[in-house]
Amino acid sequence: MFDFDATLPLMAIQFLLLVFILDKVFYTPFGKTLDDRSEYVRSKRVGSQERLDQSKKMAEEYEAELAETRKQAQSIVAEAQAEAQTLASAQMTEAQQEAQGQREAAQKEIDQQKQAAMATLDQQVDQLSNQIVEKLLSAAS
Amino acid sequence: MPNFLTFSNILPLAELEVGHHFYWNLGGLTVHGQVFLTSWFVIGLLLIASLLAGRNRQMVPAGLQNFMEYVLEFIRDLAKNQLGEKEYRPWVPFIGTLFLFIFVSNWSGALIPWKLIQLPEGELAAPTGDINTTVALALLTSLAYFYAGFRKRGLGYFAKYVEPTPILLPIAILEDFTKPLSLSFRLFGNILADELVVAVLVLLVPLFIPVPVMMLGLFTSAIQALVFATLAGAYIHEALEGHGDEDH
Repeated sequence: MFDFDATLPLMAIQFLLLVFILDKVFYTPFGKTLDDRSEYVRSKRVGSQERLDQSKKMAEEYEAELAETRKQAQSIVAEAQAEAQTLASAQMTEAQQEAQGQREAAQKEIDQQKQAAMATLDQQVDQLSNQIVEKLLSAAS
Repeated sequence: MPNFLTFSNILPLAELEVGHHFYWNLGGLTVHGQVFLTSWFVIGLLLIASLLAGRNRQMVPAGLQNFMEYVLEFIRDLAKNQLGEKEYRPWVPFIGTLFLFIFVSNWSGALIPWKLIQLPEGELAAPTGDINTTVALALLTSLAYFYAGFRKRGLGYFAKYVEPTPILLPIAILEDFTKPLSLSFRLFGNILADELVVAVLVLLVPLFIPVPVMMLGLFTSAIQALVFATLAGAYIHEALEGHGDEDH
């Protein structure tokens, strides 16, 4: 069982050869693949992190711009509303004044006609009363 | 060890041959052929898997590439846990190959029916079940941590033998011998014992009964690979840090 012979050194040499050959065909190339891959993954991760940050920043910028635009739109709307309000109130007062004037004119005309009618009525009353007086006087005499 | 279960000739699949080796003679050197055959299979498996998975590497992994990347991440974590973030990278190939070689060896020994392939003598089994392999790996680990220590701190590495007190010098020196010894014998003993237990059970009851033991064998095999690689990492870390006598 414990039979030492030239197998021992030859096996050692053979094993060392195996170490060198496997280093050439297995450890070095596969290790390179593994290292390359981890390097690749790391760089990709860094790159995508950068791009994520960039897009976040861009989104923030756009949001700020959007808020600004919204504010502008609101102020424009408010301005237009105020303008329309003043315009409407001006037209309203003008129309009211016009209506007032027309009403006053009509009132004046009514008053004139009333006075005229009153004057005619007075005349007729006088005439009638004169006639009544004359009739009574003639009847009495 | 003698072939003590000769009556097993009834069941050719369930033969126990411990201590029988398929010897090769290479210019006066004897080697265990069966160990090399299976270790070549293991090495081939690892190389083929790496080459197939690495043929066309994608940024988004799929299939075999994904699996091999998972394996590499596991090994890197293992090395990082032992050596720390700063030091682990140059040691990933060594610790990783220790883990992969031992793990695939153990599981190939447990999962592949090597015994169907007849050899003139001995039998194919996990390469880690042979003491030569485990001692080779353990000595390489020792060399690795000495190398790590000297490279990091030069001759100042020897300072760790007399820190915190020179009284522990013998123990510190002894540690350099016990470390490879325990590493190699732990792995060798576990794998060989597992193979023996499974073989004996298969010999006694060829069906179903050995299955739980086989599962346990798979589990311990995986654990042993992990333990070997982790301890190698811990020893290298200790040599790099020089915290004296941490006993593992």
